[in-house]
Amino acid sequence: MAVLAAFCLAGIAMHRNEPINSSWLVIAAACTYATGYRFYAKFIAARVMTLNDKRATPAERLRDGHDFEPTNKWIVFGQHFAAIAGPGPLVGPVLAAQFGYLPGTLWIIIGATLGGAVQDFVILFASMRRDGKSLGQMAREEIGRVGGIIALLTVLVIMIILLAVVALVVVNALRDSPWGTFTIAATMPIAILMGVYLRYLRPGKVMECSVLGFILVMASIWGGRAVAQSATFAPVFTWTAIALATAIIVYGFLASALPVWILLAPRGYLSTFVKLGVVLLLGVAILFVRPDLQLPAFTRFIDGNGPIFAGKIFPFCFITIACGAVSGFHALISSGTTPKMIAREWHALPVGYGSMVLESFVAVMAMIAAGVLQPGVYFAVNSPAGVVGAAPAAAAATISSWGFPVTAADMSALARNVGEQTLFSRTGGAPSLALGMAHIFSQLGGSAVVGFWYHFAIMFEALFILTILDAGTRVGRFMLQDLLGHAFPKLGRTSWKPGIMITSAAVVGAWGYFLIQGVRDPLGGINSLWPLFGISNQLLAAIALCVATTILLKMHGAKFMWVTCGPLVWLVSATFAAAWQKIFSPIPAIGFLAQAERLEAALAGGQVADPSAARALIFNARLDAAVCAILLVLVAVILLDSLRVWVGVFRGTREARVNESPFVLSQLRPEEI
Amino acid sequence: MSRLRKFTALAWEILRELSDERAYRRHLERYNRPHSREEWHKFSDERLRARYARPKCC
Repeated sequence: MAVLAAFCLAGIAMHRNEPINSSWLVIAAACTYATGYRFYAKFIAARVMTLNDKRATPAERLRDGHDFEPTNKWIVFGQHFAAIAGPGPLVGPVLAAQFGYLPGTLWIIIGATLGGAVQDFVILFASMRRDGKSLGQMAREEIGRVGGIIALLTVLVIMIILLAVVALVVVNALRDSPWGTFTIAATMPIAILMGVYLRYLRPGKVMECSVLGFILVMASIWGGRAVAQSATFAPVFTWTAIALATAIIVYGFLASALPVWILLAPRGYLSTFVKLGVVLLLGVAILFVRPDLQLPAFTRFIDGNGPIFAGKIFPFCFITIACGAVSGFHALISSGTTPKMIAREWHALPVGYGSMVLESFVAVMAMIAAGVLQPGVYFAVNSPAGVVGAAPAAAAATISSWGFPVTAADMSALARNVGEQTLFSRTGGAPSLALGMAHIFSQLGGSAVVGFWYHFAIMFEALFILTILDAGTRVGRFMLQDLLGHAFPKLGRTSWKPGIMITSAAVVGAWGYFLIQGVRDPLGGINSLWPLFGISNQLLAAIALCVATTILLKMHGAKFMWVTCGPLVWLVSATFAAAWQKIFSPIPAIGFLAQAERLEAALAGGQVADPSAARALIFNARLDAAVCAILLVLVAVILLDSLRVWVGVFRGTREARVNESPFVLSQLRPEEI
Repeated sequence: MSRLRKFTALAWEILRELSDERAYRRHLERYNRPHSREEWHKFSDERLRARYARPKCC
């Protein structure tokens, strides 16, 4: 396995100047994960964590039939994987493909094996040994009060940025697309119907209800084609980006304020099943089709002048791909529901480590889906109009001048083929991923329905992005109520209607502001918002790894610190470098402050057609710089706080007390799992 | 054949866990109550309240 992994990794690293088959990536990834799982993860489990199946887990000791319940390991695996798999591992690799397939693929495979999966596994273990405590609680206990508060604040900031950026991905996928907009709009009444069905007609029959919902969603995709071709209905569902953004903001507010069973829960169930089904389908399709990658190993944009986002491979590739390699958000899941379901300590190995490498494999599949597109098409879809020009002929000429030939006629034919008006400048990653997926699926014998597959992929992405949006807004509202409740106790009451309205509006207003900023950005918004999201997510991973390192230090002294300290050093280097460049780089395409200065100079020189829009862009660039700086300061504080604890433990001035719950012998019988 | 059957059964149970149907069965067993609309509402409201108070992953 190890030799095969090395051979395939060397193969994809050295292959140049002709298309490479995707099997190389699949085998390299699968063999690396298998080797990492068999040797590295087992070493961590046995020697570092000293997992012990005789020790009763919180699921057994605190069993309550609700949260704490010993569960079959593969069922926990499925539940955990479904919880960590979001749009991140799909969109990030597609955007990072602007450097070529190689940098992103290597980071996904190596980053997950040595970093991301280790982080998820260690945090799951730590939470499991601490009665299922959350990351914030562990940070408070292991590092100090400051660590706990910073973890909470960072999560809130990340949520706001995350919701804005995923909403922007949906807006860019659906704007001027009656077929896509109709399909997604149809999921609202379908979800409400499912909610009523589940609440009053067939209570408890979630599977049955989800099958019904799935059939209706598929019917809406078929219906979408008729809507797009209808002279009457097509204009009704042809929305501009601003109109879509406004609709999504209103939707976010309603979803946060309405009872969960009406909309959120049925959509959540449906989205989970669709997500798992599509990931499985894509995996099977790639194995059968084994498409060639058209994208080169490296593109000219490794020089930092990429049209999708500016900046060099280091550090920007490593923050663009977060969820597929290392994701701080996973630490919240690993210290949430999952540790309360683990029946035996050794089950944490497949659940914590195994789920993450599977997620990483999803990211490799997304890279393949982006790579099967002709490079000219890939850049035509993903480059903002502000960079390549708004007119199709001008955009095609610009992209061709980069060495990636494409014509306006090619793009027009492709758009017609998938039932869209245009595919130029559909930034955000979702449309190009959908094109790649449709290309692969149609090789299985469905070339006549490539438009269906494209909109099926768009529906799949938008459906679970909106699920994150509505659930995230609600969680953000709870967090804000929790925070404000200390100053205004009434606002903290989750049953007080005005409090719900005020805090929902505040959370929606916060991410809605960034969303509108992204929509109005002439560079497409992704250039500013995705790096912000990547930086914040990786900074949360740095916090999780600080907690993990502190725990390992207290358990074994310095002996095994490298297990989590290695990924921590790498993440801090990449993320701090990226954040520093995003704030202070003198290149306007990268640095927020330089961008503001350039606009200010243009404004002062009278070279701006719309001064009020320019002033808004200047303010937004400075706001983004401020958000970036706040995140940097927060994480720097927690890093210094952790260092203070580590030095104290080394010097012996601080007690290296491990805050684990006491050992209790497991009484669980095999038939109970 | 029995392996395939086992795998299918496991996949089915994973789907039932994701759909909360297994958790609902545990709830009924724990409190020794029969299935009813009211019981489902009680279970579902509590479970969804807890679920939607936790962040969803990106």
